[in-house]
Amino acid sequence: MRIAAAFVLGAAVSLAGVLVGAWWAPFTVGLAIGFVIPRARVAVPAGAVSGLLAWTLPLLAAHARYDLGPAARSLAAIMGFTHEPAIPIVLTCLVGLLLGTTGAWLGSAVSSLSPSGRGLARGA
Amino acid sequence: MKFNPAVQAPTRKDRRGSSVVPQPARRVLSRGRQVRSILNVAAAFIVSAAVIYASFLGVGPLPALGPAFNPVTGAWTMAGDAVVSDQTLHLAGLHKPVRVTVEKDGTAHVVAQTDHDLFLAVGYTHAKFRLFQMDLLRRQGEGRLAEVFGKAAVDSDKFELQLGLVRTAQSEWAALPADSPSHLAITAYAQGVNDRIAEAESQHQLPAMFTLVGYQPKPWTPIDSLIVKGDMTQTLNFTDTPLVMELLDNTLGPELTTKWFPVLPPNPQSPYDPGPYSAPTIAPIETMRQVTGAEAETASALYQRLSALPAGLIATGGASNNWAVASAKSVSGGALMAGDPHLHLTLPAIWFQITEDSPGFHTSGVGIPGTPVVLIGHNQHISWSLTDAQNQQTFFYEEREDAAHPDQYFWNGAWKTYTTVAYDIPVLGQQTQHLTVKLSVHGPVISERGLTTSVWWAGDLPSQDLDVLMRVGQASDWQEFRDALRGWLSPTHNFVYADDKGNIGLISAGYFPLVAKGQPWLPMPGTGEYDITGTIPYDAIPQAYDPPDDIIWSANQRQVTADYPYYIGTASNFFKPGYRANEIHRVLSRPGKLSAADMAALQTDTRDYLASEIVPILLHAIPSSPAKDLLATWDYRMETDSAAATIWWNFWQAYLAQTFDPYWKSRRVKVDRSEVNDALGQDLEAWTLAGIAPCPATACASTVDCFAPPCSSAELDADLTKALDASVKTLTSQLGPDPTKWTWGRVHTRVLENLAQIDGLNYGPRPDRGDANTPLAAPGFPSAHGPSWRMVVDWGAGTFQGIYPGGQSENPASAWYTDRAATWFKGGYAPMLTADEASSASGAKAWSLQP
Repeated sequence: MRIAAAFVLGAAVSLAGVLVGAWWAPFTVGLAIGFVIPRARVAVPAGAVSGLLAWTLPLLAAHARYDLGPAARSLAAIMGFTHEPAIPIVLTCLVGLLLGTTGAWLGSAVSSLSPSGRGLARGA
Repeated sequence: MKFNPAVQAPTRKDRRGSSVVPQPARRVLSRGRQVRSILNVAAAFIVSAAVIYASFLGVGPLPALGPAFNPVTGAWTMAGDAVVSDQTLHLAGLHKPVRVTVEKDGTAHVVAQTDHDLFLAVGYTHAKFRLFQMDLLRRQGEGRLAEVFGKAAVDSDKFELQLGLVRTAQSEWAALPADSPSHLAITAYAQGVNDRIAEAESQHQLPAMFTLVGYQPKPWTPIDSLIVKGDMTQTLNFTDTPLVMELLDNTLGPELTTKWFPVLPPNPQSPYDPGPYSAPTIAPIETMRQVTGAEAETASALYQRLSALPAGLIATGGASNNWAVASAKSVSGGALMAGDPHLHLTLPAIWFQITEDSPGFHTSGVGIPGTPVVLIGHNQHISWSLTDAQNQQTFFYEEREDAAHPDQYFWNGAWKTYTTVAYDIPVLGQQTQHLTVKLSVHGPVISERGLTTSVWWAGDLPSQDLDVLMRVGQASDWQEFRDALRGWLSPTHNFVYADDKGNIGLISAGYFPLVAKGQPWLPMPGTGEYDITGTIPYDAIPQAYDPPDDIIWSANQRQVTADYPYYIGTASNFFKPGYRANEIHRVLSRPGKLSAADMAALQTDTRDYLASEIVPILLHAIPSSPAKDLLATWDYRMETDSAAATIWWNFWQAYLAQTFDPYWKSRRVKVDRSEVNDALGQDLEAWTLAGIAPCPATACASTVDCFAPPCSSAELDADLTKALDASVKTLTSQLGPDPTKWTWGRVHTRVLENLAQIDGLNYGPRPDRGDANTPLAAPGFPSAHGPSWRMVVDWGAGTFQGIYPGGQSENPASAWYTDRAATWFKGGYAPMLTADEASSASGAKAWSLQP
């Protein structure tokens, strides 16, 4: 229950942060998840999914509203991949994913150093 | 062995290691876990640091990934920015409501109740669609590109700060009375730009390029508008041609240089102002002299430095067309006017199409984002367009210095101390660089390698050109138009004029420097005797009004005949060879009346006048061949499906190379021959048209010790045949053995280049017609220069049409990034609507700007 609550809350906070321009929110939320859930096998996927959602949902919303096709093509061209509009989309999702993943990993790793964390990390 | 979990699997408690593992082993295991935990933390920290670093600062060519790709505030916002809709906005600084109608192609119509509000709304509108372009333009002129682009831009920044666009703009601003129209206009304009910056920042709508490059625009100031105007002046008339002439003189010698690069054009041209002229008021200029080794070394170093600068900082011979037809020769019964300024074709374009309506202004046309006025267009009574006048406005001076007088130069019989100005040049990722610019009475010292060289450039003269443009926009007849232009300094432009009464005119307004003596086409001594003493009187500059043959035209040709009493520049290095002007004159002067459709057809005319002169001579000289058959039936039009066009062009290049390259090689000329091909082409044209020249006393044409044009028919024919054979050989190797497949479109393409030099955001290259000599100008392979705006006005029919390549928006995700390009390539136009017409047109969006 605590895991599910942490995940939902984390995803919501990440999304809210991204929506107000705090693009790094998934990392900090991931850190928090890692501290709350030191078990890396749980925390890291939770952080990753929350980061991915936080960066992907606004992208989907923008696409529904404006059609991101021309923007994707333009960004791909700017990056030197003129005929690969998928690349900026993938890169964007990847950034969200990595921010959440690394935040959670770092949080759980640091947390596991403490005695209580060690215990939790081992499945207490 | 069968696995029995009930026996062998440790309990959960056991797995935690609390009861079944002996104490020493537990300690070992614990240490192992601690080590693993520490390693885990270290790995997590390192990977997290890498991700955070890349997200905050970027890696290699990638920008800071976090802010750049943030789906809400990053570059993806270009998708939302591309959508323009009806809206009501509140702008700080507005006095009364303003209506802006945006046509379905992005053309903006601003209707304001006060002039102040008009310019504020124009600033807002420009910034809405072109803020990054505006910022680039001001940064270029301010010498602040390295601050955002790093060390690659330092040379450009240093040069700009030496040249002094900032100093000039500051002087102009300081000299502007607070109640002058242009002071009020650029102040309101700056407010409008800043309103948009504030709005964009608050709504995360800054152009994506700011996000990707990683900086925020600073507030716009009135001085920025003056700097943008300075950028255009620089790109059109800051030249290095005196340095080129010095290097030519040094290597070819004064005799050949005089012969090949004369003051007056050697070929037949069509000046628009045939005279009569007023009497000269200054001493005649001197003939060519021998350049010293020290002078040549200095010129060479400076020439190389300037050559290495980015394109656009040094004028390389702008080109444009404009002409007008009086009502007596017009089908509609009203005056006709056409204008197509030829510039670097960029995305976004240099132009923004707009209609400006207020109590004091009713102008429609194109202006430059960053400046508040319509530069080319029309009002209710007159229309106007520009071509570059090409007169010499850049002069180099070699300052006399002495070790006994440090930081001084000798001028007018006394030692004078240089004025100095210190600048900081911030460089992204590096330490700020410092630059001290020395100023003599002539202008900034631009080189201290070898002889200290300063430059006098008309663009450094503080002017009130913005006031002039505002008065031009308000003029209602020739007298007001001409009076307004009296204050125009630089760049000198051929302003063509037509009005609703059927009158036409043309005046080459601007600063025409007079040099007391010396060879102004070379760097001159800075000791005072060779200084610029003033300008040609306004009444004596080239101009014409309602000429007797009812036509008037300019295409960068020398505007006046050989009888003109003033030096205005050498034919070879400042004025174009005259082929476009000759072709335009040929078409306009044919019997019969002309229509707006004829004007449009002439703007996309691909007939190469030079080819029409030379090919008949070539056909007489060469033996039968498939190439000759193609040339024999050719109409001299450089169309994409024409194989003869390709043969002609390659023949002419081979003919030039064959004639001049031996001299370039043997004399080790340090100037790229292609840079002076226009000049050499005029010579070759004149010699070929003349047929044969008198034979020299001793034969020398076959050596490089002396030069003489062909002096027998056999010699001329052999030269022409040899050049054609060489071109056929080249084309066969490049395009295959069948000459009918050597179509121009296979070798000649056109591209609209992204302003930020991102190739993936270019339009093209795609096959296109025209060449450097055709009215539809398309120099280069691929060509990135040409008609940057085409406008046709028919005052009799009351029709105004225009188009430029590209679109109104700099946002590559916008439909208005390239939506006009296809129509432009086809030679089409769009009607220039009034604000009322636009507001009722389908697809138009309305902005209500409220105080």
